[in-house]
Amino acid sequence: MSNHLLNLNLRVWRQSGPNDGGSFKTYQLSGVSTHMSFLEMLDVLNEQLIAQGEEPVAFDHDCREGICGMCSLMINGQAHGPDNATTTCQLHMRRFNDGDTVTIEPWRASAFPVLRDLVVDRSAFDRIIAAGGFVSVNTGNAPDGNSILVPGVRQEVAMDAAACIGCGACVAACKNASAMLFVSAKVSQLAVLPQGHPERNARVLNMVAQMDKEGFGSCTNTSECEAACPAEVSVSHIARLNREYLRASILAEN
Amino acid sequence: MDALLRTLSLPAQILSRVPGLGPLVKVCSTTVGQKILMAISGLSLCGFLVAHLAGNLKLYAGEQSFNDYAHALHSLGPLLAAAEIGLFAMFALHIGLAVSTGALNKVARGKDYFIKETKQGVSILPGGASSWMMVTGLIVLFFLVCHIIDMKLKVGPGVDYTPALNAEKIADNEYQAVKAVLSTPSRAFIYMIGLVALGIHLSHGIRSALQTLGINHKRWNFILHWLCIALAWTLAAGFISLVIWAIGGK
Repeated sequence: MSNHLLNLNLRVWRQSGPNDGGSFKTYQLSGVSTHMSFLEMLDVLNEQLIAQGEEPVAFDHDCREGICGMCSLMINGQAHGPDNATTTCQLHMRRFNDGDTVTIEPWRASAFPVLRDLVVDRSAFDRIIAAGGFVSVNTGNAPDGNSILVPGVRQEVAMDAAACIGCGACVAACKNASAMLFVSAKVSQLAVLPQGHPERNARVLNMVAQMDKEGFGSCTNTSECEAACPAEVSVSHIARLNREYLRASILAEN
Repeated sequence: MDALLRTLSLPAQILSRVPGLGPLVKVCSTTVGQKILMAISGLSLCGFLVAHLAGNLKLYAGEQSFNDYAHALHSLGPLLAAAEIGLFAMFALHIGLAVSTGALNKVARGKDYFIKETKQGVSILPGGASSWMMVTGLIVLFFLVCHIIDMKLKVGPGVDYTPALNAEKIADNEYQAVKAVLSTPSRAFIYMIGLVALGIHLSHGIRSALQTLGINHKRWNFILHWLCIALAWTLAAGFISLVIWAIGGK
């Protein structure tokens, strides 16, 4: 694959802080290698801005290999850009053409307030996990891995849900800013395993309650989240969340 | 916005004071619970549509047959009134929840995107039927109001009810009344639009309701998807056929 150099028009959301109104600013960036990742392109933009004495663009990133869930960005109206099953850090500039205008926005949701530029506060997800996305175990030595046998097909369902990296693309892409795909993945990964069963009812009730408290929208089953999810988490988990919720509402002991 | 939230939560606050209803109110006040109520009320209304279409298809059996059916239905008296109140309650619940969850969903987004695209495949309607639920719902509601004025109250402006007046009372010849309404050009137009909107609404609504009630399995999803769409458009096409029949029969 040959290396081309692109000249890009970048329309970037700039916002100095949570209380600032924010606005788009346009930057010209020339000589962008098609081998760069999207985040490397932003690094180059920031070098240019620093050299010009401007504030660099703040954006979230960490592992840059598609597994940590830190990167975000709405790129030309697509969560994580135009590729399916790909995070922003794994998106390459060869997906763009010379002379393109690229619009970069932060995730938009009341539950994800913008902290600065393209960085949003996703701690609402942490609070949902803290409300029930765990199993209670005694500390000490690690338990024997195969002490509870789980059939392979079950493990696969749990693993498909556990693929969620918690990036928030589902919320960003949903027209209702609903967190149902995220919450359903975190409920499902434990609900289908025996280790998750003792706390099954309390988990789903508490996590849904926290989800509502954070101000996420409700699910209208448009499947936009599934299409946008870089980990390809299926909306079948949302149906499982609904089943778990119905079951727990009727049967929970407290 | 706080005022809106407080107003919306008023019925729930009052109901939660009623002994024994606490747990039910708790379930119904979450977003998931509200979607479940939305699904149950929507499917109930679908059940009504099935019965309504089955009855209306009697129009094809002729004047005597349809009028006999209408008389039998009306002679149920208090039972029919009770069913109508139930039906009205389902509509009120479904529409009320649509408005309240819709408003809260707008609040949940906050500031809108400058550009918003999708990774989902192209569909006939931009964004698919799921993006048109509020619009099609409102069109169906408008159609429904016209329908009740025309058919139940029989005071539709511009409709010539004289063929139905041959009998002693209007109510005595429902067959002629239906024909009179459906063959009025303005009504044929409104009913067609309303019924197409209904088809679009149901083509997402039925499958969506089942998903909300937890019905989703990769073994069955394909057949379920097409069965739901078939049911939606069978209902719409069934009603539309009656409009075409009435226009043609004039």
